[in-house]
Amino acid sequence: MRYDPPLHKTQGLVPLLIALAALIAYPFVFEATYFRHVIILAFVFAIVATSWDLSLGYGGLFNFAHVGLFAVGIYTYSILAKTLGFSPWLSILAGGGTAALVALLISLPVLRLDGIYVILVTIALSQLIYFIVISWSDVTGGTSGMVTLPTLKIGDYRLSKDGRIGYYFVGLGLLVANLAFLYLLTRSRLGRAIVALRDNKYYAIARGVSEARTRALTLMASAVFTGMAGAFYAAYLRVASPDAFGIGFLTVLLSILLVGGTGTIWGPVIAAFVISVLSEWLAGFGAWQNIIIASAIILVVVFYPGGLWAAVQELREAVDALRTSLLARWRRREVRAREDRLNAKERFIETRHGLIAIADTGDKGKPALLFLHGNSACKEAFYKQFHAFRDMYRVISFDFPGHGVSSNGDPETAYNIAAYAEIAEAVLEDSNVADVRVIGWSLGGYVGLELAARANVEVQALAIAGTPPLNQVPIDFGRGYNPDSHLVLASKQYFSRQEASDFGNSATAPVSEDSAFLHRNLRRTDGRARLYMIGKLGIIDWPRQMRMLSQGKFPFALLSGSDDPFLNHDYIARLRYGNLWRGIPQDIPGGKHAPFFNKPDEFNMRLLAFLHDAERDRGDEKENTREIDREIDRDPGLGH
Amino acid sequence: MDAATLSSVLQGGIVLGALYALMATGLSLVWTTLGIFNFAHGAFIALGAYIAWQFSSVDAWGLPLFPAILLTLAVMFAVGALMYFLLVKPFERRADVVLISVITTLAASAILENGLLLIWGPRSKQIPSLGSGEVALGQISLATSEIILLALVLAILLGLGLFLRYARPGRIMRAVSQNREAAELLGLNVPLYFAIAFGLSAATAGLAGVFVGTIRFMNPEMGTEPLMKALIVVIFGGVARFSSPLYAAFIIGMLEAFSIYVLGLYWAPAVLFITMIVVLLLKPEGLFGNHQRTL
Repeated sequence: MRYDPPLHKTQGLVPLLIALAALIAYPFVFEATYFRHVIILAFVFAIVATSWDLSLGYGGLFNFAHVGLFAVGIYTYSILAKTLGFSPWLSILAGGGTAALVALLISLPVLRLDGIYVILVTIALSQLIYFIVISWSDVTGGTSGMVTLPTLKIGDYRLSKDGRIGYYFVGLGLLVANLAFLYLLTRSRLGRAIVALRDNKYYAIARGVSEARTRALTLMASAVFTGMAGAFYAAYLRVASPDAFGIGFLTVLLSILLVGGTGTIWGPVIAAFVISVLSEWLAGFGAWQNIIIASAIILVVVFYPGGLWAAVQELREAVDALRTSLLARWRRREVRAREDRLNAKERFIETRHGLIAIADTGDKGKPALLFLHGNSACKEAFYKQFHAFRDMYRVISFDFPGHGVSSNGDPETAYNIAAYAEIAEAVLEDSNVADVRVIGWSLGGYVGLELAARANVEVQALAIAGTPPLNQVPIDFGRGYNPDSHLVLASKQYFSRQEASDFGNSATAPVSEDSAFLHRNLRRTDGRARLYMIGKLGIIDWPRQMRMLSQGKFPFALLSGSDDPFLNHDYIARLRYGNLWRGIPQDIPGGKHAPFFNKPDEFNMRLLAFLHDAERDRGDEKENTREIDREIDRDPGLGH
Repeated sequence: MDAATLSSVLQGGIVLGALYALMATGLSLVWTTLGIFNFAHGAFIALGAYIAWQFSSVDAWGLPLFPAILLTLAVMFAVGALMYFLLVKPFERRADVVLISVITTLAASAILENGLLLIWGPRSKQIPSLGSGEVALGQISLATSEIILLALVLAILLGLGLFLRYARPGRIMRAVSQNREAAELLGLNVPLYFAIAFGLSAATAGLAGVFVGTIRFMNPEMGTEPLMKALIVVIFGGVARFSSPLYAAFIIGMLEAFSIYVLGLYWAPAVLFITMIVVLLLKPEGLFGNHQRTL
């Protein structure tokens, strides 16, 4: 399931409103008419490029007739408004209508073809429209085109007055309407069907997406605003000429689309402004203008296929990584508060994956407990266990890289379950712990399983909370979890304020005096840690974990909350375990995803009982092993 | 339509057909071996014409025409191979190579055309004619230049066909186009043969450009229309065999000549594009095609 919140809940809203406000304020601040003209053209380019992106980028339809659709809009306006004397405003709307109609005709051959043939047939159709336009000179004016087209008026006010300010706002309005249309469309059922057909045609068809209807609607939807933009363009320049079909216009549009990034709405919008300004600036260089734009296209395709939008994303990621890293560094100074909360010493060790913060009660004589925290949490989440278990055990926990006050790691290598298990080994080695009882929560549960499966340290007992063990990823992911929860946020790179509090509430506890520090810590987490951890689930040998559990070499307990919003308890109960404590999952009544935090007493009681039983079992097992050894001594065949 | 008109229409159709055959062969050579369409093919046509002009015109270096044509072919071969290494090879393994190569070759076409404009300027030029005078064949008289053109085109296409059929590099190119992986497993240098295919394609485009340049005035956009015609021919005939674009070229040439006569200069292209769309709809693999693409 894809997490896709509405616009007003994402972080995109504020930049979008700022950009809109800037565009509205612009003509009142700057009077220069020529540059205003460039921006009006940029509006038109942005509309045509984003609409094209719907079929080319989102739909994966190699539609090269888009320039033809634009020209259809131009000529619809010219013929209706000038020759037939219709209202110019209605003619603009009609431009969208005829373009959609032509798109429907184009879709007929497109439906029968695939790949390069779609390119060829759309080019042929666009050429056909071109030759009809220049041949039908009685109506279209042929090669010389049509001039002195009617201008747009509101009452008696001509929009070209006051430095074309009227056209500026009509263009802006059209762009906003176009973007809203595309945004809503891409998020609708149809939009998802369009993308599904692109990504996996046969699977989409098998799931009930009608290819013919979807393709036809894609082309029509991408034509509507293109036609209107063409009509607006004609009304603005007041000429219609067959130059609109030219390779130059196609190249500019293609460069906007590619530089902006296909398959996104906002990239081409940004690129439309950049390229329009650039191309106006280059206009003085004559033939060099096209050479430079064409070279830019090639360079982008070769070196930066994601385009400008990918660059924006990379910049955002770099800023966010810097923010979280500085925040972690800053919070390292609050060592006193953390040590007081845990009543344990904090120290730092340098590992392969960066600087790791360890909390350790440090009683060398006592058996060691290692607590592993969950996604976007920190070691202090276990402070109630630090207090409850410190008398009998040595309690250790640490912050994963990108979490708490550990440093950010290299996302490619440090942010995955295997790396976390490796760090756990380093932490235990640094603590001089030879055998350990591990308690893993959520993501930490998988780290615990992996740590045990790697068998580099001796895990004497393992308890996991809020973690469904997985056998096949990603199939079991769908089985083990409840998809209706905020779980989808677990892999989301950037949290808005709302999402951070949603995830914090579901994963730990609603904000209260007790849990405020967890919510405060959440925003420090490196967003890449969430993204890469999920992305790299595939590197883990999941069946090895499951084999280990079914062999039951060590006592294993499931201590999830009974009201855990993320888990599918039935799935967890159905799995085969070789040595499950008390034979069934021990749900903490009323416990949520962090039962050790919101039901600490019940959790601690069970955990203590489990640790005791584990100790006793191990004693029994040693005897068992001795018995087996004796058996083997008697019958050497058993040893094989 | 009287006999004289008919013969002149036929004559025009045959010359057009020969030119289209040359252009379409180059286009389909790349399509069959690499599986992509080269939209810079039109720019290659223009480039070939300008290079030949540079070598042969008395205003430039003033070489005799035929050595100039040979030099042009060599230069065009190099340009084509270079283009393959710069604009196609980097993406060969990507899933969306078809779309990317359309984009890069379109961009290359823009660069080449504007480069021509920068180097040689917008003034129209013409290459010296292939020959002068007329040859009378009974009632019909043919221009010597047209006969030379026809003979050259047929000789070159025949040579290319024999090369692909019997010569070792030609056979390797066919092997590479039929099964790239198998060819690689046999130790064949696939990129080299792709580059050769691209170079040969560019050379035939350049030659077509030379011929167009001897008939009409040259300008940097002179390749756009021939590119579209070549496209129509390739679609119409399919690329099942080396020869299928040849038949198609002559059919399309005739169709164009007759539509110009019947419908006028402006509507003729519309007829051709409608033909292309109809063929794409009814028989996307082309009139002479089967489903397999091979040389």
